[in-house]
Amino acid sequence: MKKLIIVIATALLSVIAMALLLNAGTQKPSAPPPIVLSPAIPGDVNVTAQTVSIDAFQPDFDVYSWNTFIALNWPPGPDGNADPKQTIGSNGDNDTVWEHYRDVRNVFLPGGKRPTWNGPPEPPPAAGKMLYKPGMRVLTQVGKTPTVLTDFSQPFNTGPLIDQNGTYTRFEILTNKPMFDYILNNSLYSKAGQKVFTPPVKFTCGTLGSDGKPGVEGAIMVKSSWKVIDPSEKSRFHSEDVLVCSPASKNPKYPASCSVRTMGLVGLHIAHKTQSASQWLWSTFEHVDNAPTAADVKSGKLKPKYSYYNPKCDAATCPPNQIPPRPWNPTKVSSFHSQVVRNDLFNLPIYAASAAARNADAKAQLVGVSPKSVWQNYELISTMWPTNPGNCAAAPGDPLGHPAPTFLANTTLETYVQRTPPQPNVSSQCIECHNNATMTVPVPSDFTYILQRAQ
Amino acid sequence: MNTKATSAPEADVQDFANMSAALTGFLSSVLKPKLDPVGLARTYYEFALAQVGASQISALLNAFRAIQTQPPQTIADTLLETSSPTPSGQALLAQSIVAMWYLGAWYIPGVKGGGGFPPTPLQIISSEAYTNGLVWSAMQSHPMGFSPFTFGYWSQAPGPLSSFGVDTGNGGGQ
Repeated sequence: MKKLIIVIATALLSVIAMALLLNAGTQKPSAPPPIVLSPAIPGDVNVTAQTVSIDAFQPDFDVYSWNTFIALNWPPGPDGNADPKQTIGSNGDNDTVWEHYRDVRNVFLPGGKRPTWNGPPEPPPAAGKMLYKPGMRVLTQVGKTPTVLTDFSQPFNTGPLIDQNGTYTRFEILTNKPMFDYILNNSLYSKAGQKVFTPPVKFTCGTLGSDGKPGVEGAIMVKSSWKVIDPSEKSRFHSEDVLVCSPASKNPKYPASCSVRTMGLVGLHIAHKTQSASQWLWSTFEHVDNAPTAADVKSGKLKPKYSYYNPKCDAATCPPNQIPPRPWNPTKVSSFHSQVVRNDLFNLPIYAASAAARNADAKAQLVGVSPKSVWQNYELISTMWPTNPGNCAAAPGDPLGHPAPTFLANTTLETYVQRTPPQPNVSSQCIECHNNATMTVPVPSDFTYILQRAQ
Repeated sequence: MNTKATSAPEADVQDFANMSAALTGFLSSVLKPKLDPVGLARTYYEFALAQVGASQISALLNAFRAIQTQPPQTIADTLLETSSPTPSGQALLAQSIVAMWYLGAWYIPGVKGGGGFPPTPLQIISSEAYTNGLVWSAMQSHPMGFSPFTFGYWSQAPGPLSSFGVDTGNGGGQ
């Protein structure tokens, strides 16, 4: 009898052990560490997941993205670096660290001139000289270069984004100091320098400190999108009075013009090259009022107003995500208003679920600093990361590193490449697209198109 | 038979990936990586299940399970019945699974093409199946319309087969 009990007990234990083993691959991921309100930019993702799966890892990458967003939007001191004595959003809105990065207009100078990190910025276009005040940011239209994000058109020159007031959205690309220094030290700021450069281009990789501490940042590239806002909307947006310029155009014909406009931040891409991501980490944020999701539209759960969607216009009258008809003239108010919908490009539920959880955590913390914080109105869409990255150098057979999620779009930056069901080349893939980037000479440029701007 | 597949048990999908590794010459960790943003092993398993039904898939998997400790080449030769001029229905199913992994398309088991041409596949399973077809890795190349490589790759020798996930170490992928 005793033997029988031992046999039955052993069998039961084996069954339980087997069940535990089988569940190990599918168990729910444990919660990642909370988002931190800190001015320190994480040098890399801190993977705390106890199991190896996309479901377990994605939350850690989304925590990294929010920690990066918070650090980059931290109030800076006089030197442009984060001021640890201040706190993000404590006064509602604040100047940010990333806005003190060098924008590409001040990196790739006329004549291939050597740029400086702290020197005076390039003078504004002639049309804006009378309006310009020292320290004022300048958003310019730099002409449409295929495959390059210009200041009013989107990737692949797919077209401009026009808000519900008929105003063109503006874009800007900036680099942090490690990225700027690499460009400077290798003379990649000029065509002549690129011509004599010995490949490969390898930007600096960020590293995590010990015990998951932030460590040292690598090359960071920030892409921002801005819309003109009414001063009464300042409480909802990170905003700034900016000199917005459009150079002259021959077709359609219009002269150069500049005007000072109050611009609200509507989108922010943050790309960071790190030790664990030779294909870079791609975080993308949007303002919560930008556009509804396709599910929102289907269910009718719509806000009364969006920046890029008219809830009163049905899909037959206002088909979503259509490229504005030509001619494009950013100097005039457009009668065409972009009707933007966020399509679901994710093939796994974890991406949206993890972003939503991290957004709730971040919002609670930001509101805790100040209920008036404009930063509570921004949300992470997701973080794209390579699942097979190599060690700061991609494997020859897998340069893309099998990214997760496979597709990712910001509705203000990749409005027109949101095709569903997602497919390569017509649905936005950060890593796949940027893997095609080259310099002005036919040499891969390590996942950035900005080197094509060298003169 | 078009049986609607439900979410298949993870253990079956893993066995399917392990069997597929032996059949294709690629590493199981490549066909079903732990960090798997695409999930082709599950997609393919459930697709095959829906096409031929649970009994045929189970029989093939059980045949694999019985010999899974054998070298990959032995497993492939056994399941594909490479020495038989008239392979069984089970071996034809194994052939269709190999074609699915390599070409991202489903070929109905046993259906032959005419005039020396291969048969028309029933369907391309998905765009991801197309771009992730093993044929491209075996060629150390890429599909038309989609390249994972960086600009100028065509002027350099491709990486070794092992960098494409081919099992070059223990009898598979030779």
